[in-house]
Amino acid sequence: MKNPTDELKIEIINLIIETLGITDVDPATVDYEIPLFGGNNTLSLDSVDAIEIIMAIQRTYGTRITDQSLAREVVRSVNSIATFIANNRE
Amino acid sequence: MENYHHKMAAHCESGTVTALLNHGGLEITEPLVFGISGGIFFGYFHKTKAFSFPTFIMRNKPGQIRNNIENRLGVKFRTYEFRDPVKGQIQLDDLLIRKIPTGVQVDFFYMDYVPSWERVHINVHYLVVVGKDGNHYAISDSYFPAMVELDASSLEKGRFAGGNMSPKGFIFHLDRVPADIDYQAAIVKGIKKACFYMLRLPMPFLGIRGIRLFAKKVVEWPSFARDTEHLSHEIMKINILLEDQGTGGAGFRYIYATFLQQAAAIVQKPELKELSEELMKIGDGWREISLFSARIGKNRDLGPDKLKLLSEMIYDRAEAEERFFKNLSVAIK
Repeated sequence: MKNPTDELKIEIINLIIETLGITDVDPATVDYEIPLFGGNNTLSLDSVDAIEIIMAIQRTYGTRITDQSLAREVVRSVNSIATFIANNRE
Repeated sequence: MENYHHKMAAHCESGTVTALLNHGGLEITEPLVFGISGGIFFGYFHKTKAFSFPTFIMRNKPGQIRNNIENRLGVKFRTYEFRDPVKGQIQLDDLLIRKIPTGVQVDFFYMDYVPSWERVHINVHYLVVVGKDGNHYAISDSYFPAMVELDASSLEKGRFAGGNMSPKGFIFHLDRVPADIDYQAAIVKGIKKACFYMLRLPMPFLGIRGIRLFAKKVVEWPSFARDTEHLSHEIMKINILLEDQGTGGAGFRYIYATFLQQAAAIVQKPELKELSEELMKIGDGWREISLFSARIGKNRDLGPDKLKLLSEMIYDRAEAEERFFKNLSVAIK
């Protein structure tokens, strides 16, 4: 399994911020491992945001997340998104 | 249970049936189970006794995946239903003592291992119970990445929850696997049935006609809502019905596309692979509808122009699916 680079993780944080139109979060303060959902991350997201992120990932990296159980695991944190992309991008 | 292997799955019922078949020695994937059982479907219910607000389904009736797999593969599941929770627990415990992994129908809300914000009342969640230690059951829930534990009281609440489609303590386990299985015949039959249900049912609310009815009626949804909050909640539920609660993504269209990809090699029909790619794109369109519904619901942006746009997006899916299923029925002849 490929390990994602820090550059990819920063790219993902910027993609999330841009996709969701977030204006009040400094990308440098986003933790890579703290779950994005549930209120503990600087980026505190909800289930509607999740589908936006899934589609943004598909558009940007050509990786379709077809399995909903997998989708929950993938969008859990910046690290999990980056690992998925590093191993599945076209 | 030492030789039981937990796996995540796209959908709880097909995942549970697959897990029991795999444990019984049958090497079959979840998409094959879903496709052979004719899991793909559409039904629109404008307003019925069971639903206080219009709703829709994207798969066949709960329980049909197990029933159809029995009929088409020749496997046999033994099933049990109970009125008395004590008898229900005794039977389950007896099966576990005999080291028989057992499928259980529950109300998802009582599954304490799921974070509270994800838990909703759904009486047709399926999981596998694989053991018991003291007062705790070992659970293989395909919704979850690893095996989990659940206390006996929570499992009982889940198994004997009331309401629409209540589980009534329903459990099942694999009883018999035939020596020879004709996968080609099972796949062909599963695809033919799916095409029949999508294209040829006479009822106007089922299959492709049902998608068109959904497209036509969604603009009337405001007349059923108490207020904007209620309407936005119901519009956002389109996203949940398409993407969440174990749908396999995009209203089960992705999992059926994966089935066609795998079926192409077994029945030696490369055109099924091409149709699989077409269905993936159709699934992308359903996912666009999920996102659009979620957005307008969340922003309370529910004017007639937005609902008209939503209606047009759904009409597009009806056109695309009609074309797809007609091509599929020709390919499988």
